[in-house]
Amino acid sequence: MWTIRRYPLLWLLPALLPVAAFIVYPVAYAFWTSLHGVMLLFPGEPFVGLDNYKRVLSSGYFRTAFLNSVVFMALAAPLVVILGVSVALFLQRRFAGSMIVRSVVLLPWVLPGAISAVLWIWVFHPSFGIINGLLEWAGAINAPIQWLNTPTLAFACVLVAHIWTQIPFAVVLTMAALAAINAETLEAATIDCRSGWKRFWHVIFPEIKAMVVVLIVYNALVAFTTYDLVYAMTGGGPGTATTLLAFQIWRESFAMYDFGAGSALAFVMVAVAGLLIVLITRALPSDLFEERP
Amino acid sequence: MARRGSRLSTALIAGLILLFTGGPVLLAFYGSVVPDRILLDPNISILDHGLSFETYRYVFTGELPASYLLEGANRSMISDAARQVPQSLWNSTRIALAAMALNILLGAPAAYVFARYAFPGKKASFMFIILSPLVPTTALVVPIYMLMQSLGLIGSIYGIILVHTAQALPFTVLILSVFFRKIPAELFEAAVLDRCTGLQGFLRIALPLALPSIGATGLFAFMLSYSEYIFSLVLSGEARSRPVSVVMAALARNTDVSWSLLNTSIFIAIIPSLVLVVLVWRFVVEGLLAGSVKG
Repeated sequence: MWTIRRYPLLWLLPALLPVAAFIVYPVAYAFWTSLHGVMLLFPGEPFVGLDNYKRVLSSGYFRTAFLNSVVFMALAAPLVVILGVSVALFLQRRFAGSMIVRSVVLLPWVLPGAISAVLWIWVFHPSFGIINGLLEWAGAINAPIQWLNTPTLAFACVLVAHIWTQIPFAVVLTMAALAAINAETLEAATIDCRSGWKRFWHVIFPEIKAMVVVLIVYNALVAFTTYDLVYAMTGGGPGTATTLLAFQIWRESFAMYDFGAGSALAFVMVAVAGLLIVLITRALPSDLFEERP
Repeated sequence: MARRGSRLSTALIAGLILLFTGGPVLLAFYGSVVPDRILLDPNISILDHGLSFETYRYVFTGELPASYLLEGANRSMISDAARQVPQSLWNSTRIALAAMALNILLGAPAAYVFARYAFPGKKASFMFIILSPLVPTTALVVPIYMLMQSLGLIGSIYGIILVHTAQALPFTVLILSVFFRKIPAELFEAAVLDRCTGLQGFLRIALPLALPSIGATGLFAFMLSYSEYIFSLVLSGEARSRPVSVVMAALARNTDVSWSLLNTSIFIAIIPSLVLVVLVWRFVVEGLLAGSVKG
């Protein structure tokens, strides 16, 4: 009757249709916009071909924003995954209060981006921030450090805040993957491998590799498309130090009302992100996409 | 000796994790119970004044904190947006729960088919699903706003539910298919020998075995919806249907607002999801871990 084997599409449609309606249609619309001069301040939507793309790619902002985004992603994605996996491995241990640590680790997850940004502004604030306060108290500095007003430091601060928001998800998924490992495999490993690192690398890591690949791809994407932290923490500044590509799209579209240029920028970004995803999945061989009989 | 060393390192690492993940939130709590004039003045000691919960009272009852009723106090530091926090929490909870339920309902069958069956177009449809979230959301805002407007869903929570469901679905399908794949194939082979249909295999074997993972995935959809900002902002319209992320962003953007009022709102906004996280965490991950120990 309703056999899955004969009508697999029937089972897929409930998931495929909403995604198509809310992604394919808007993307098609955005593509149309990117080829037209759509500015809120000027009436009419003339066809301009690739002008928007040329304008965006040759603008001074693009190079900086692109480089910033790539550096941000190259640092954030591996750091989140390494820290997340380490924390998950550590939380396998049972100790007094381990339940508390496990719950507290999830805290950053429940906070909307705007809130996380405020929390971290509070941490890095030059006059009232806790870090400057502690450093002054310890006598390490005389004048307050301008964390969010110095280009490199501001970039690092946004990076720290971003990593903070992304760690819980990595921890949860890694812990779930760790829990799915066969207990006998682990027992055998405990007997065979005395060194903890070897045990991890040869026994545990292969078991959670698929999940790690998912996490890296996901985090690369998130880091590449994040904008709310930057928006609320630094507004892209000081100068252009923390202007990421996604933030630049936001600025083109909603601060300058140039939807054509914003959409063109979005398309450039989609292309770059797609390329990166393919490269990452190639570089990390995994059985995730293999067909299983 | 080695025993004590390992216990010490355990405590040390646990402390570091707690400090990093919980520290900023603890600061917010601290800021919420200490009035501004004490908080920002290094010469006044907190110990002399004790804790104050007047900003909490303001958010729920609208009664102004005593310090702002004094003559010369800066009334602009009190923002009405803080009064919207309780209603926005209720909105966010309904939106996120609906998005979570829809995600599991729509995503689980697809994930199961992706994990267990080979069929023409599998790779293409799977790639479509997992590559779709890479479209920057800022590019989607204007078209989706227009779509929702033509459906008459602006200013209600239903439009937001739809968008959040669609946004989380790719992740739901991807994560669940990884989990379904982990179930040993022998179980399904045995089921086929017992003349189970594919549907029964899904309902009687895959779903019960993957229940903890489904819970975790649902939690993810909940969180994604709870913290989503830009669509909530454009689709919610008037104050009555605003979710918590929008209200919080409005508060955070207001540079005049009092630190302790801001921190109070942050803290209130955390509480419901905190409860959910602790509950689900207990059942989902702890259940999973206990299962793996028993084998």
